[in-house]
Formats: sequence, C-alpha cells, structure tokens
Amino acid sequence: MNVKSILIVDDEKNIRLTLSQSLEVLKAEVDTAVNGEEALAKLKEKDFNLILLDLKMPGIDGIEVLRQIREIRPDIRVIIITAHGTIDSAVETIKLGAVDFIQKPFAPNEIRELVSRVIDRDQIDKQKVADYASSIEFAKKCICERHFDASIEHLRAAISLDPSRPEAFNLLGAILEIQDDILEAQKNYRAALSLDPTYEPARINLNRSTTWKPKSNIIH
Amino acid sequence: MSSDLRYFVIIVGCGRLGSYIANKLSHSGHSVVVIDSRESAFNALSSEYSGFRLEGDATEFDVLKQAKTDQADVLIATTHEDNVNVMVAQVAKKLFHVPRVMARVFDLKREKVYHHLGIETVSPTLIAGDVFLESITTSPIAKREGIGL
Amino acid sequence: MKILIVGGGKVIYFLCRTFVSKGYIVTVINRDHDECVRLSRRLKVTVVHGDGSDPQILEEAGAFTANAILAITPNDEDNLVICQLADLQFHIPRTLALVNDPDNEEVFRQLGIKTALSTTYILSSLIEQRASFDEITNLIPVGEGKVNVMELLLNENSPVVGQTLRDIAMPENSLVAVILRDDETIVPRGATVLQSADRLIVMTLPENYSQVLKKLTGESE
Repeated sequence: MNVKSILIVDDEKNIRLTLSQSLEVLKAEVDTAVNGEEALAKLKEKDFNLILLDLKMPGIDGIEVLRQIREIRPDIRVIIITAHGTIDSAVETIKLGAVDFIQKPFAPNEIRELVSRVIDRDQIDKQKVADYASSIEFAKKCICERHFDASIEHLRAAISLDPSRPEAFNLLGAILEIQDDILEAQKNYRAALSLDPTYEPARINLNRSTTWKPKSNIIH
Repeated sequence: MSSDLRYFVIIVGCGRLGSYIANKLSHSGHSVVVIDSRESAFNALSSEYSGFRLEGDATEFDVLKQAKTDQADVLIATTHEDNVNVMVAQVAKKLFHVPRVMARVFDLKREKVYHHLGIETVSPTLIAGDVFLESITTSPIAKREGIGL
Repeated sequence: MKILIVGGGKVIYFLCRTFVSKGYIVTVINRDHDECVRLSRRLKVTVVHGDGSDPQILEEAGAFTANAILAITPNDEDNLVICQLADLQFHIPRTLALVNDPDNEEVFRQLGIKTALSTTYILSSLIEQRASFDEITNLIPVGEGKVNVMELLLNENSPVVGQTLRDIAMPENSLVAVILRDDETIVPRGATVLQSADRLIVMTLPENYSQVLKKLTGESE
C-alpha cells in the first residue's frame, strides 16, 4: 500500500483523535480539519489522496463538502463517516463517487482495513479481476471514477460468480437508482434483503426508495 | 504506545467505576466505547476522554452489535445491576467471542455459578474487604493501654 | 408437580390460578411487598418476597424440590440469571424464561436456557400470519420458528369436509395431529372423516404453511 496523505474531516475531537491514532501504523501523513470550510481550504494547499469525511457537521454540510471536493479534486478517494442508522444519503454520496462508509463507533482494525482496501483498490488490474471480492472492489473503483456503466458490468459479474451474497445486489440497486430506474433498483434491494434479511444497507435503501418524497429522484 | 498494545475496549455502564476505567484507558491510548442507557451518565467522562459514547441498553443484542462487540479485545461490565453485568458478560463471551470479559458482581452468593459459567468476576466487597483485612493482619497496630474505667 | 414462578403483574395472578386449579403446588417470588400481600390473600399459593435471582431466596422458596421454574419478570437479564441459577445450582429439571427483546430468544438458547419464549415474537407472528384468516384461532411458532402449530376451524364450505384424511392427501411436511370435535379429542387415523365445525390442530413447516391452509380451507392466502 502506498499512502501519501490522509485528511480527516470531523467536528468531533474524539473521532479525529481515534482516527489519527488508528492510522499512525499505516505510516501515512495524517492531517485534520474541524469543518468543511477548513477541509476545503487545506485541500487547495496540499495534495491528499484520501479523505475521511463526516456528513453531519455544523457549517457547510458533508454532502456539499463532498460536492466541492469533487470540483477541486475529482480523483480523490473519500470514505464517509456515519452514525448508526443515518446512512440515508448513501445514494447521494455514491452519485458523487463515495462508496465506502464507516459507522461509529469503530474499532481501530476496522478503520485500518477499510483505508488499506480503498487505497489498494486503485492498483487492481482489470485483467486480474476473477472472484467475487475483486469484482466488487473493481466495481467500487469504477464508481469512484463515476464510470457507472462499467461498474454495473462488474457488479453483474460479481452476482454471477456468487448469487448468494447481498452486497452486489445492493450496490447495483444504488446505481440503478442514480440512473433513475427506481423499479429495477428496488428489485435489487429486495433481492439483497431476501438473501440476508439483516443486511442493513439494503434495508435502508429500500425504505428510502419506497418512501414517496415530493422531490423524488424520478423527476429529473 | 505501539499499536498492538492498543486495545478496543467496550465498557458497559458509565457510573463511577465505568467512567473511571473509561477515562483511564482512553487516556493511555486505548480505543474505548462506553455504553449506558442514560445519556446524562456520560457527563462523568472527562474532557480528555477520546472514545465513543453509545446510548442504549446493553442487554439488547442489537446494542452490543452496534458497539461492534464482535471486534472488541476486552469487555468490562460495570453497571450497578449484577444480573445485567452477568448477562452482558456471557453474551460477549459466548456469542461475540470477546477474548477477555470481566463483570463486576456485588453479590458473593452467586459467584460460584458465574465461575462455573466461565465469567471472570470482580467483587468490590471482596476487594475492599481483603485490603482492610490485609492491613490489620500485616502491619503492627499499637494496642491501647487499658485506661481502667 | 411443584412450580416456582418469579415475576409479577396480572399474568402471574391468572397463571397461578390456572396452575392451582390443576392441582399444582405453586410458589411465587416477587420483589414488591404489597403485591406479595395481595397475591397471598387471593390465592392458595406460597408467596416469597424477595429477589428471585438471589440463591438464598430461591432456596427459601423451595428450589431444591421444584419440578419447574418460570422466570417471567420484565427484565431479560433477571430471567436469564434466574434460570441459570435454577439449572446449575438447584438442578430444577424444567426452566422457562420469558424474553422481551425477541433477539434474546436465540441469545438465551445459546447460553443454555432450553425454553425461551418471546411474547413479542409470538404476537407479531400471530398477527402477520392470521391477519386474513378468521378460521385460524391459534398459531404458535415452535423450535425457533422452524415449525408452525395452528388451530384451524373447518367451516361447511371447506373442500375437505366429509372426506377421510387418507383421501385428502395433505401437502408434504404437514400433519393433522388432533381433531377437537364437540367435547371429544380425537387423534385421527387415515380413516377418520373430517366434519364441519371440527377444530384441527395442524403442524406444518413454515414453507408449506400456505399450501396446507389452501388445502383445508379452499382459500388461498
């Protein structure tokens, strides 16, 4: 793994501390920001290759920060920090190329594994994608680069390699939802849930997508 | 501290004992999650405490899952209810396979059964009692002279 | 049979009344002093005031000679410890715990409690499964929901009325265990003819539950 530098954006001191301490071992250069404004300022000065971003912050909210990060640095990898049961904007962040989530509270190992996985993902060679896990990883890489069609292709490949796991169905659903194919999206969320009724992300996605909202995604 | 000496510790109950342990462990660089069903209990945590707070009832399986007990190195049950501590300790050990699990137990009468169940218990009464007894039997005490009432 | 019950509330009162009328010897352990007084006035049971998860109280209540114990307090942790003490320290042969959090049903089983009942689970599956069927008066999932036991009333429109069980060809993995007819209880054989107004106790696996319903009532879910 080759980490140059990581930026942690969270208004809570304990989260910034826990994250920096956990990431020390990876020999990465870690910088922190207490809100979106500071994060965006630091981003203009310095070259980061990974950002850990809290969505709920005072000031500019996380989604808006993510949107602006995309304008400044479209290539940067972003991991979203969420509290339990609050990932209702998952589709919104995926649309902006952030496909990795970590839920509070987190164990140090959990953070290190996720960060390593996200960074190693860039090195995956398309030719070598052969199993379920690497297909998912490659699909996520495509999402980060906003190549949604390529991502769908790899998710379908993952499903045909192992049709018994919920993750690929759920991600596929999210991408279809972004592409405004709500019915197909829901079919995939349901498929994920029927494979594993405890699979939280699919449950949240299905609930959200079946709840009617005046500003529905269908309308744009 | 080197990273392999850093533990992921879950503390159930944020009373005097729970908050004391949480503050100390967090201060020495361990990653800590404190669970308590009353949000106000977290006021006992110091301002330097850098761990997580989780509001919920730890006898609910889902709350332990949220705390990521499956990844914990240590769990310490410190609530003032023996039965809560004993139940949480067993769930942590048998269902989440936490390598080191400890429970505070006030009532000594039940200890035998808990030992049988393989739970490491700590009894405040026993510890304090032993310290007092030790101090009486080991250090010399000047006996009062008879005053001859 | 000697039964220990730990808990309180109306449920306890009626449970005791039922058990006493069946001739069982019942001892109740309850933490609330006033409730203890009330129970002992109204019922022919021994009432012990105290914490049922305290071994001393259990012993006073006669745990060493009890045949069964029911832990039905509102706290899962108390019910767990009561049953574990009853089993490990007093060797009471049958222990039953009530769980409030339905997830704890499985947790208790893993921790060695043989019978853990979740009222939440029972009620919610009752509602889900009988919602559209008035004929089903009772439905209990047993064995972690791997088996359904239901009580079903045959009305005159049922396609199976007048047929023998042998001719009906019940779906696989199902069994008509008992027929309640007037005051009679019949354990049926192949030649038993089903009649209108029979109440059938039927066991099925959850997956062929709806097939069985369709077969016996003619309606589909």
